[in-house]
Amino acid sequence: MDLTREEESILNGEKGAGAQKAMELVVALGKVYGAENLVDITSAHLSGASYKTIGDGGLKYLEDMVAGGAKVSVLSTLNPVGMDRDRWKEMHITPEFAEKQLRIIDLYGRMGIKTTCSCTPYTGDNVPKFGNHIAWAESSALSFANSYIGARTNREGGPGALAAAILGKTANYGLHLDENRKPTVVIDAEIDGSLFSHSLLGQAVGMAIGGGVPYYRGIKPTLEDAKTMAGAMAASGSVALFHVEGTTPEASKFDVSGLETIHIGKEEIQAAYDKLNTTDDIQLIALGCPHLTVKEVKDIAAFLKGKKKVNKDVEIWFCTSTSVRDQCPDEVRILEQFGLVLADTCMVVSPIEGTFQRTGTNSAKAGNYLPTLCSQKTMCRDISALMEVVL
Amino acid sequence: MIIKGRSISPGIAKGKVIKYDEAFSFLGGVDTSTGDLRVADGNIAGKVFVFPKGKGSTVGSFVMYDLMVHGTAPVAVINRSAETIVTTGAVISSIPMVDMIDTDILRDGDIVSVNGTDGSISIETARYIRTVSSAIMVKGRVLVLHRPDTARSFPGAHSLVSGKIEPGESAEDAAAREIMEETRIPVDKADRVLEPFYVREKDIVWEVTAFLYILDSAEPVLNEENVAFEWLTPEQLKADPKVVTGVPGALDRLLNIQ
Repeated sequence: MDLTREEESILNGEKGAGAQKAMELVVALGKVYGAENLVDITSAHLSGASYKTIGDGGLKYLEDMVAGGAKVSVLSTLNPVGMDRDRWKEMHITPEFAEKQLRIIDLYGRMGIKTTCSCTPYTGDNVPKFGNHIAWAESSALSFANSYIGARTNREGGPGALAAAILGKTANYGLHLDENRKPTVVIDAEIDGSLFSHSLLGQAVGMAIGGGVPYYRGIKPTLEDAKTMAGAMAASGSVALFHVEGTTPEASKFDVSGLETIHIGKEEIQAAYDKLNTTDDIQLIALGCPHLTVKEVKDIAAFLKGKKKVNKDVEIWFCTSTSVRDQCPDEVRILEQFGLVLADTCMVVSPIEGTFQRTGTNSAKAGNYLPTLCSQKTMCRDISALMEVVL
Repeated sequence: MIIKGRSISPGIAKGKVIKYDEAFSFLGGVDTSTGDLRVADGNIAGKVFVFPKGKGSTVGSFVMYDLMVHGTAPVAVINRSAETIVTTGAVISSIPMVDMIDTDILRDGDIVSVNGTDGSISIETARYIRTVSSAIMVKGRVLVLHRPDTARSFPGAHSLVSGKIEPGESAEDAAAREIMEETRIPVDKADRVLEPFYVREKDIVWEVTAFLYILDSAEPVLNEENVAFEWLTPEQLKADPKVVTGVPGALDRLLNIQ
């Protein structure tokens, strides 16, 4: 790999052991992907925040990093953690888990990372600009940043993104390069336009193409629609960038004539729905994967206002960030009559399998991960259909 | 002798090989408190862990860190092709790692030195023999020689025109000499030459430098080293059960078939 003199000196340990380790990792990952050099980044977003996902190995790794004096050099934010910092008892979290989780958050904070713990940093704490190179590690957030904003990132892993945050650099390959941002397939989409239909569309496309760069026609996604699509495509497939004709900033650059076109309509949406629905009987309704935005909290509050929760056996979690929760106190009060409005966590990274076996969600992303990461059977429907269970 | 791979995670270590022949996930694949494998018999603590490539959850990187903390980590990792999870785990855990090594040349119990800094390994318990192997192509067919059943190495096998490199001899000179000795066919410059590859036979590692010679015509006259010859298409050669390991792959690379 072609390193500058300064990068070479970091790799040789002249800037300390912590920076050397970070450089070793960025260079090793660059080799694996055939990068020729490094590129400066403007921000990082780190995964590997929940004690449930990183375990004792991850915790020790973070302790050693902090002991070695590691500090990030660019704006860095953190993914959701395994519990709400204040309401973990209501989430059935054990004190042992909570203690380790709070230590993990503290360790990230000591490295200079903002510990707001959201999977939608682009709505508040970490908003990249068009063309910025970034190193992001949350699959839905990085796809959103690539696609809806036009920033540039690969699918970074947790330690790789942390190393990039420390150096302010990442390996220059994949989606950092123009040639890899070109559409590879045209998706001719026919959906009803609801938020939930965008989630199923993402699911169907991930199932149909696996990877690649889809170019959508026939939809006009809002931020919320794009958020749920991005999450779904990254979970059912490995899509990290998509374009939408007339909506996303890079779409107009490309000539897509001659590309294969796949039609996604009623039949494909039904197949996606069937795959995500494995039970009719749920114990928990969990919304906010990715985290609810202010608009979603307001929409849900408007839907629930004046209604009554009849079925007390089913718990409801509304997952969002602290900043969103703080921005709409009136709506949060309405939601709290139905369930918990939780900040900085979600149903996927929390150890819900200790309490629940069957969960309902309106997110195709959650519908993919709840069975594998949380051993859940799932019901995947739009919010009003889910709420029918309790109203 | 040094076998060249690619540096992934720096550092130098030596140990006994434990091999796993499928893609490996550290998450679920190993007990971190003991180093015992859960997917096969064996223990990786303090060993040189050889497997084709990593797979599974990204948490696997932290499992490697956990192994290191417990003192149950391998001393080095050798992969055929590195991917993100094991690469990340090896670097953060300071475990030397080399990839782009044909893991078929390593056996359980081999003592291997791994140099993660320059990206090479050395099998201390094996003998090395440097050889050449030449594909002579005439009109789309390749010359295949039949070794006698009494041959000391690869008895009864079918091979290209092969032999040992003499001390002080270049590989290309050795190739031309072997072709002349074994077939009486004169050759000039090779049309293609590959980076050396390795074939394992018991405690011997054959380093093979493969050459391609494309000729308009050729009339082989055999010496006592072989008992028969035939001209096969590349497909026929690949289907031949007696062909020496490594030859079909080398022929593909010589003919640039990926």
